[in-house]
Amino acid sequence: MATQATEIAKGVPALAAERAVTWPKRTRARLANGLEVVLAEAHSIPKFHGELYFRAGNAQVSDRSTGLAEMTATLVRTGTAQRASRQIEEELRRLGADLGSSSGQDTSAIGFAGLSEFAEPLLQLVNELAREASFSEGELERERRQKLEEVKLERTSPGFLAGERLRKVLFGAHPYALVSPSEAQVTAYKREDLQGVYREIYAPENALLMLVGDFEPQAMLKLIEKTFGNWSGRQARPKEFPAPPKPRGRRVYLVHNPGSVQTQILAGCHAITRKHPDWIRLGLTNSLYGGAFNSRLIMNIREDKGYTYSPRSSVNALRHHGYFSVSAAVRNDVVAASLTEIFYEIDKLRSVPVPEAELSDAQNYLTGIFSLGLASQDGLLSQFSTVELNELPADYLETYRDKVRAITSAELMACARKYCDSANMQIVVVGDRVQIEDQAALFGDLEIYDAQGNKL
Amino acid sequence: MSSLHIPIHHNTLKNGLRVVLAADATAPVVTVGVYYMIGFRLEPQGRSGFAHLFEHMMFQGSENAPKMQHIKLINSSGGVLNGSTMYDVTNYYEAVPSNGLERVLWLEADRMRALKVDDENLRNQRDVVKEEVRVNVLNQPYGGFPWLDMPPVAFRNWANAHNFYGDFHDLDAANLADVQKFFKTYYVPNNAVLLMLGDVTPQDGFALAEKYFSPIPTSAAPSFADPSEPPQTEERRGHVEEKFGTLPAMAIAYVMPTRRTPDWYATALLDQALHGGRAGRVYRDLVLERQIAVEAEGGVDDIFGTNGPSQMTTRILHKPEYSHEATLAAFDTILREVQDNGITEDELQQIKVKWRSDYYSTLEGGRGGYMPRYGLMHLLACFTLFDNDPQLVNSILDGFLGVKREDIQRVAKKYLVPENRAIVFRAPVAGKKEAA
Repeated sequence: MATQATEIAKGVPALAAERAVTWPKRTRARLANGLEVVLAEAHSIPKFHGELYFRAGNAQVSDRSTGLAEMTATLVRTGTAQRASRQIEEELRRLGADLGSSSGQDTSAIGFAGLSEFAEPLLQLVNELAREASFSEGELERERRQKLEEVKLERTSPGFLAGERLRKVLFGAHPYALVSPSEAQVTAYKREDLQGVYREIYAPENALLMLVGDFEPQAMLKLIEKTFGNWSGRQARPKEFPAPPKPRGRRVYLVHNPGSVQTQILAGCHAITRKHPDWIRLGLTNSLYGGAFNSRLIMNIREDKGYTYSPRSSVNALRHHGYFSVSAAVRNDVVAASLTEIFYEIDKLRSVPVPEAELSDAQNYLTGIFSLGLASQDGLLSQFSTVELNELPADYLETYRDKVRAITSAELMACARKYCDSANMQIVVVGDRVQIEDQAALFGDLEIYDAQGNKL
Repeated sequence: MSSLHIPIHHNTLKNGLRVVLAADATAPVVTVGVYYMIGFRLEPQGRSGFAHLFEHMMFQGSENAPKMQHIKLINSSGGVLNGSTMYDVTNYYEAVPSNGLERVLWLEADRMRALKVDDENLRNQRDVVKEEVRVNVLNQPYGGFPWLDMPPVAFRNWANAHNFYGDFHDLDAANLADVQKFFKTYYVPNNAVLLMLGDVTPQDGFALAEKYFSPIPTSAAPSFADPSEPPQTEERRGHVEEKFGTLPAMAIAYVMPTRRTPDWYATALLDQALHGGRAGRVYRDLVLERQIAVEAEGGVDDIFGTNGPSQMTTRILHKPEYSHEATLAAFDTILREVQDNGITEDELQQIKVKWRSDYYSTLEGGRGGYMPRYGLMHLLACFTLFDNDPQLVNSILDGFLGVKREDIQRVAKKYLVPENRAIVFRAPVAGKKEAA
């Protein structure tokens, strides 16, 4: 906590009466082929934003290789039966559109945004990418080389190395442990593997098309039926994986990055998914701890002690598991001091009730920033996507603010005790071992790795 | 062709503070910004990095809102806040549910009137800024490339050529007297613009601006050093060591024509022909077709927000089996093609549609999804401070949409020449060993 007495501001104007927060109405439909459609109007600019989601990603196909769904997504935009890569890119520019295709652990998606006046040709192109990607050998070989350089390069980023190690430690044999393929895996990707993944994942029965923007929903729905209506394909059965055991006891994992002039700290423990009834309570707990500028962690190790520029905590939800994490890039000589404060602030939340005034400030923060997304098309799209992809209740957005306001100090403490599991936090530090090993070893049994992932 | 018109209201208080307002009650959210016309370009000599360090100090307390209170009051009103230091301006901004508007204005007025900070605050933020430089530059692969590497190679005037993030000994030398002097010189109402966007009526917005900002006394208009460059007569080259990354890199930068001239509009579209994503000639040629580069991207950094020498920069990470010179030669053939043959009418039309579409997104867009209308705020502020004409937001698009094919070829021949460029090579230390 701050060592200096906190002074109070004088003469602050009171908040005016709040205006009601109204989320735009969603139009829903399900085509005969199984494609789910969610549409919402937002007329801020003469454009629209969209995502075509598929409810499977790298985890689903991890038995074949790591990152296979991601490589499939990369190839999806590089050629179809009708168009070569260059024609696709020029068509996008002609329509004033942006497009990206990617795949995470649980979903694959083609995301796009473009001018409303060209909605029809843009949706046609998206439809073509989802159904007729050609996976040419030439494109695959280029993307393979690109990926090889990328996987070499990412091992020089402290943030990547920290995240990769924490996921391995928390998720063990579960596919969520694997965030990026090895060079050998990339070298071994085969065209048939990618085509297999494409058939398995890119099917209408497995898909959700979500559009937000400047259009009339009924007309847009007709256009969607015309464009995607004759697509067919069966959903592959979702794979189930045994739950990873929760690591017990604090351990420290040092990733040796010679020449580092700073240390990246990342500590985490298992928590919950977005569907869990405690999710909103954990969100408020996180916001108080290290999720907001005004949070305890930031006021302590940045504004009071000056150890770091960018400390933060977050709650990370994957579809089947979630985790709580704290990160800070700190000066090499204050690694131990920073970890001490990180745990001090967690333990305080677990043992001392949050004062009512601080609780109410945090509730105001969380309910307020929730509304900021209302003002832009991609902000709305992101909120609607969260609800749909996580199968949250239909009134989730409408009731969220009331739920945040109802949380009590006692519930917060219970939540911190359950999910901010300081005794079992796994600590990753990425830095130069010569400078930080002694400090790191003070916090638990120490394992040391090099940047390639080999144990030293 | 442009079909988006944003109603803009503006006035000027007696103390010289300009107030610009764009009302839109669709969502109950308001964005507030205060821009001061001073950036890192014209910070004091011997105090590199000071404009940015000073920006941090603006969050450290003012007369009625001591340290920690500023951040706490915005967050607890349900809002977010930040600031950023750019070449020619520094901004402070908040997005809050609209019932917090008056509180935000009170806070911004309090720190414009009376910054109140001490040595302890300065020591604290100096430490924070050093960690910011480490996390963004010194401890990252390709950190600061090329935005910090390019200026000392390309420019001769200290204003354009120095380290904008700050040499650590300059940061260490900064003291409270510097802070107060900088504040008194540049952070005056007649060197600033206040912006309100979103859920606020012009009537209420102007009344609140008057109430909170008009008591702040006006001051002598700051004098600014001359940022102009002596004429360049030769290609300039520099070398920087890459400590962490695995690939050789280079950046090639051409000085842009003066803003809002016909050549500037044409060069902006030429930039799109070259760097407009995967359809752009540079990416298409170097990454997709000849496959020399792993990354090839570029553009003009903050084209609307810069009021002094600026550059169109290409950033390339290339495969180790190609030399710097071979890569540069490949890049040069792309430029020569445009100089010799221009671009096609079809290509020009595509670029204009994309430019218009991108412009709409800029106006609507947040910053990382959490700052509604950040782009509109930024353009209104810069057009007010640089041109005294916020309405340019509604007309500047016409300048780009009026560019012709022959304009593109003309500016390609005129500006894409060795005497107008600088090149920075950034070679990995590790790569050299491997190749040996």
